[in-house]
Amino acid sequence: MSAPVEVVLSADSAGQLFNCAVFDPHSGSEFLSYRGGNTSSRSLTVLNGEYILGAQLGKNFINVWEIQRKDQLQQKIVCPGIVTCLSASPDGLYVLAGIAEAIYLWEMSTGNLLAILSRHYQDVSCIRFTDDSSHFVSGGKDNLALIWNLSSVVQLDSSRTPEPRHILSRHSLPITDIHCGLMGPQARVATASLDQTVKVWEISSGEMLLSVLFDVGIMSVTLDPCEYFLFCGGSDGNIFQVSLCSTSLSRDKTFQTDSDGNQVFKGHRNLVTCLSVSMDGTLLLSGSNDETVRMWDVQSKQCIWSINHKGPVTNAAIIPAPANMFLADSHPAVPLPRFSRHLNPSEQGDTTGSGGVCLRLGANTQVPEGTYLEKADELYSLMCAVTDKSVFGDGENTKVRVSELEEEVKTLKKINKDLYEFSTQLLTKPN
Amino acid sequence: MKSKKQKRQGDFQKVQLKVGKKKPKADNATNVNFKSKAIHLPEQLKHADSGPTTNRQLDIKDLLSKLHHVNSNIKQGALVGLRELLSGQPTLIELHASAVLSEVAALFTDKDGSVRAAAVRLLRFIAQCIPPERVAPFFPLLSAHLTCAMTHISEAIQEDALRVLDVLLEHYPGLLSQRHTVLLTNFLELISQKRKSGTGQDKAGKGAFSLTISTNRKVTAQQWRLTVLLRLGSFLQAVVEERPLEEGVISRIGLGMWAGEKGSVTPVDVSWEEHAFGKGKIQVFENSGAVPSPHSAYRLRPDSKAGGGMNKELCSAETVQGFAGTLVPLLLEIWVEAAGGDSVQTDSDHLLSAEAMALMFQILTILQLLRRLTPQRDQQDILDAWFRNSYLTDFKHHFMKNFPYGLREVARHKKKADGKRIRQQVAAGTVAGTNVEPLALNVTLCQVMVTLSLRGQDHIEAEDADWLGPIRVFIRETLSNGGKLSLKHLAALLEVVWRMIVTQRSRVVTDDLLQAVFVQYQQRNLAVSVRTLLLRFFSRLYIQEQQNHPHIARSRILACWLASLPVQLVQLGSRNPQLSAQLLETIHPAAARGNKDLLQSLQKNACSIYDPQEGCVVVLPAESQKRLVQILHFLPAFPAELLACLSQVCNTGRVSASLATMLIRSVHLRSPLSGCSSSLQDVPVKDVDYLSFFFTTLTGFSSEMLRALQDTDEDGLLPSSTLSPLSVFATTLEQFLHHWDIVEEVCHCLNTLGSRAQCFDVIQNAINKNLCGLVVVPDCVCAAILRCVPRLLDVNFLPSDTLLHFLSDCCLSMLNLLLQLEQSARKRDAVWEACFAALSTVPRLLRLVLQSFHVFDLCEEELPVLAQILSLLLQHTQLRNHMMANASLLQHIIQDLTHFYGGETREQWLTDLLYCYSVTLSGHRTNMGMRDIY
Repeated sequence: MSAPVEVVLSADSAGQLFNCAVFDPHSGSEFLSYRGGNTSSRSLTVLNGEYILGAQLGKNFINVWEIQRKDQLQQKIVCPGIVTCLSASPDGLYVLAGIAEAIYLWEMSTGNLLAILSRHYQDVSCIRFTDDSSHFVSGGKDNLALIWNLSSVVQLDSSRTPEPRHILSRHSLPITDIHCGLMGPQARVATASLDQTVKVWEISSGEMLLSVLFDVGIMSVTLDPCEYFLFCGGSDGNIFQVSLCSTSLSRDKTFQTDSDGNQVFKGHRNLVTCLSVSMDGTLLLSGSNDETVRMWDVQSKQCIWSINHKGPVTNAAIIPAPANMFLADSHPAVPLPRFSRHLNPSEQGDTTGSGGVCLRLGANTQVPEGTYLEKADELYSLMCAVTDKSVFGDGENTKVRVSELEEEVKTLKKINKDLYEFSTQLLTKPN
Repeated sequence: MKSKKQKRQGDFQKVQLKVGKKKPKADNATNVNFKSKAIHLPEQLKHADSGPTTNRQLDIKDLLSKLHHVNSNIKQGALVGLRELLSGQPTLIELHASAVLSEVAALFTDKDGSVRAAAVRLLRFIAQCIPPERVAPFFPLLSAHLTCAMTHISEAIQEDALRVLDVLLEHYPGLLSQRHTVLLTNFLELISQKRKSGTGQDKAGKGAFSLTISTNRKVTAQQWRLTVLLRLGSFLQAVVEERPLEEGVISRIGLGMWAGEKGSVTPVDVSWEEHAFGKGKIQVFENSGAVPSPHSAYRLRPDSKAGGGMNKELCSAETVQGFAGTLVPLLLEIWVEAAGGDSVQTDSDHLLSAEAMALMFQILTILQLLRRLTPQRDQQDILDAWFRNSYLTDFKHHFMKNFPYGLREVARHKKKADGKRIRQQVAAGTVAGTNVEPLALNVTLCQVMVTLSLRGQDHIEAEDADWLGPIRVFIRETLSNGGKLSLKHLAALLEVVWRMIVTQRSRVVTDDLLQAVFVQYQQRNLAVSVRTLLLRFFSRLYIQEQQNHPHIARSRILACWLASLPVQLVQLGSRNPQLSAQLLETIHPAAARGNKDLLQSLQKNACSIYDPQEGCVVVLPAESQKRLVQILHFLPAFPAELLACLSQVCNTGRVSASLATMLIRSVHLRSPLSGCSSSLQDVPVKDVDYLSFFFTTLTGFSSEMLRALQDTDEDGLLPSSTLSPLSVFATTLEQFLHHWDIVEEVCHCLNTLGSRAQCFDVIQNAINKNLCGLVVVPDCVCAAILRCVPRLLDVNFLPSDTLLHFLSDCCLSMLNLLLQLEQSARKRDAVWEACFAALSTVPRLLRLVLQSFHVFDLCEEELPVLAQILSLLLQHTQLRNHMMANASLLQHIIQDLTHFYGGETREQWLTDLLYCYSVTLSGHRTNMGMRDIY
């Protein structure tokens, strides 16, 4: 069997069978499981494809597993308080944890605590990175979602307190979930809240683009990679699908009267706590407080399989399969450092205490490539070029082509005329 | 030949005239027996090209040409004529705008005063008729003539130029403000002259201009300066206002300081129902595709391009500095003269004459406007710093010396003597300037001075203390002396307070000032606008600045204010919904941030806010109700009394069903039973309270109400009978449906609780205890019970007999009610749905219902009803199997029924019943038969 491209990672709050487990996204069969403790909601994350980090429910430490050593708890990171949410940056350089009202930022290469951001007034409920790790969004029980620029948080001198880039304050009840789209700083963010709305924002400007009002509180939200659909998990167990780009070319759909049922995934009996869409946008994973994880086919809205857990599902996500996961004898490239518990900027300069050298993991992997803006421009021009060519054609080419065709018409007409004359001659010739 | 001759003779026949005979009439005689009448033409037909004229038969060309006449009387007459002509024919203005404007503008510098006055009047008239965009092409010409007049050597012309300026400022402020480069220097030259180069070097610090005093004007130098400064002030105002400002700046100025910010992207707002039913198509990303939207605030580097052509000149700090460098010394000189001129006469320095006060007020206004000329925040900071460095000592010395200022009482007779002068002032257009209140002067002074105080460092604070002290004292006294302030002054004062709080960074100062504002706030009988302003001040202070400034966050007064909000909300009741909404706008975020003072106060007043009779939650409009329900989510604890209130709020129908479900949900979410909140140390909703809340909401009637219902004797009461063991109290359709929606939500919440068996046990006990003994039961309660039991019942759980008996009574009564309901389909559907769900999920219930049909106890009229009920049950396919399980019982009943009825003719109902029965039975038989065969 070839290694799968994507896997499902899920955890529940009971932790009887396992803390978290890895499943096949197509069949729902279990690949691996990691034991010890249980994981609180929105706090299971994969670090750099080498470690799995999960915050212990109700305790002040984070469980860490090496991704290939399944059953063994590798170590525990003790934190200053109960961790309510956790997120590792996609480039594997930083880890963010929400501890009560504050957000803690650790650097993975040294384990230094770089910043404590206390801009939320109540517990932080969710933290998400953008896909290029340049920004992150945090949402709290104080109805606020904050967009932070990672570099401004990291590089500031200690005299100034870091400020969020944008404060999103249009929700009126606690924020339950956040989803960050692709495209780095140009991404769109979707926030779900108990006030029965889901709102979509722009990271770049902090403006709200869309607000959808439901009749139940929304506990989880996700976008598919193309951002065609917004999936919202309601507190009544329904998953609502909102289409974000209405194709105005109606394919004679008006006569079908199924508009009520066909945009809701029905099956869960309790709060839908987590949602995730596969890379190709065809599969939707949902985890619920009714202790099941379900996989849905987005097109047909059928449930493909469901797995019973022993407690309310706290985390469920479709992730690209890490390379090390199925190689039992592999090792993480870098050992996990000890996380410091105190903000101590003076230690960052001289590393005599640990004797280590400050090392950026991602430095050699970063080929100087274009920024997102450049890439987007390139893509856009490419797309424009394609459409221009196919629809309108090149100005020069069309002229040539038109003249060619005209000439051909002329010759054809001439031939026709000749033929006609010849035949008339033939017919009128007195025999 | 002959014929020709004869013809000729015929032509010239001689007529013989004879005496005594009448002379025959000639052939060509004129017939005069007609009558004529005169046609009166008042004026001749006009030629098409001549156009309309005035009373003096002058058309526009004549008039325009007369403007060049040497004689000033003719010129004036032409101007008057033009005005008359144009007011009669407004269309002419558009046609001849260029000619008229250029000719009129040329007369701004006319030698004769009456001509100039007429020209100004004409200009005023024209300006009223032509919108700014039409005038724009001629404006360079106009402004050139204006400049010419302003810099004219004759002083009378200069004075009249100011009136032209007035007109233009009034009607075309935008156009005029684009000409600031020329006009600003003109203003300077009106009141001053360039120093000679030699003296300029001596007084290098004093700028290149010195004040001029001319003796041959009709007015005093002070009055002249006042008129000029007034114009300068309004001109600067126009420059500031006509510029597209950046958002951050708007929010800091004047009344707009607490206005809401507006986004540049209009978000799409849809509700799920619209979307699901295909009504609203969403197209979200059209404005932000591959290219970032123009509104996006995301910039890799700041924009190097400046805005428009004129902004390039006046928005940067350097240019303003350049202008201010010449203007401010002049202003200071004027100030000194104004103050000095007075102090000679009186011994108390701070008392000023009205005129001096107006002058000073203008000076301060201009200083304020100068600072606002730069739109960008960073530029403003640079400018502030520059002002501080260059002029702080001067300002301190001159402005603060006699602060605060008062108005000197002038004796009556003196005023009379001044009558002439006053009349002149009126003529010069300084009316607005002359009656300046001392308060306005002092407040403006505060505003100007406070902008000079810098944020931050300690040593500067110590430096500033000597002049900030008096300002603080003044503000404190003004605000707390109990007097009512006008909206404008209060806004200015609050701006000063804001600035001082933010810059001073000291807790003492903050508390001191806030205390004064709070005193003002606590006054009774404030106007609504003033109250709202104060409220906004506090709420902005709390919401915006609190995070950055710990000294504000720790302020005792702010805490006190927050704590007073819920009380005010209760006291306000339904009297002023806008103000209540404003209060809620602060309470909501504060509650969301977990502010301790507010939450405590909220907790204390929760029962009165959420009172089902006259609490805010029922009397306010829907939007505020929603906020109140959302605030509920942040309450630290839900005591039993509060939950009782909430339950009643849900059921009294004064909040909408959707809001009630929202309320139920938020209580549900706060309970640890819901499994949503993580393990908290303190439990907001106790399990007992939670369950009793849900049970009360489920029934919709409190125990007292039910008890009271047992004794009443109302119309809505359907008496009990054999077929309807309970006496049903029919509620109104509205109430029934409202309650039906709520029951749905309650069932859903209870359904998601952890252990269903235990939950059902609790509900069963509650029903047994509270409802089973009742004789009169409202129909909505019956329906609710019948609905929730099958939904909550666990498969393995056996319900108790008491419950089942009660349920069967309910069911029977409801079925009986069902047959009497004709008017509303919705209610019938709901009742039937409830009965059907109960009967189909609990088979024992069906049996009990059937057993309770005692045919022999029924009277004649009830038989058809029974038959109808039975046929209803039989008709339903899903119930058929259950019915068949009780086939013998059913057969027995039907036999009894036919036997007992024993009528001669078979009634329709009996036929129906027997038909249903046979169909059901046969269907069942064939099934059985099929089964037997295989």
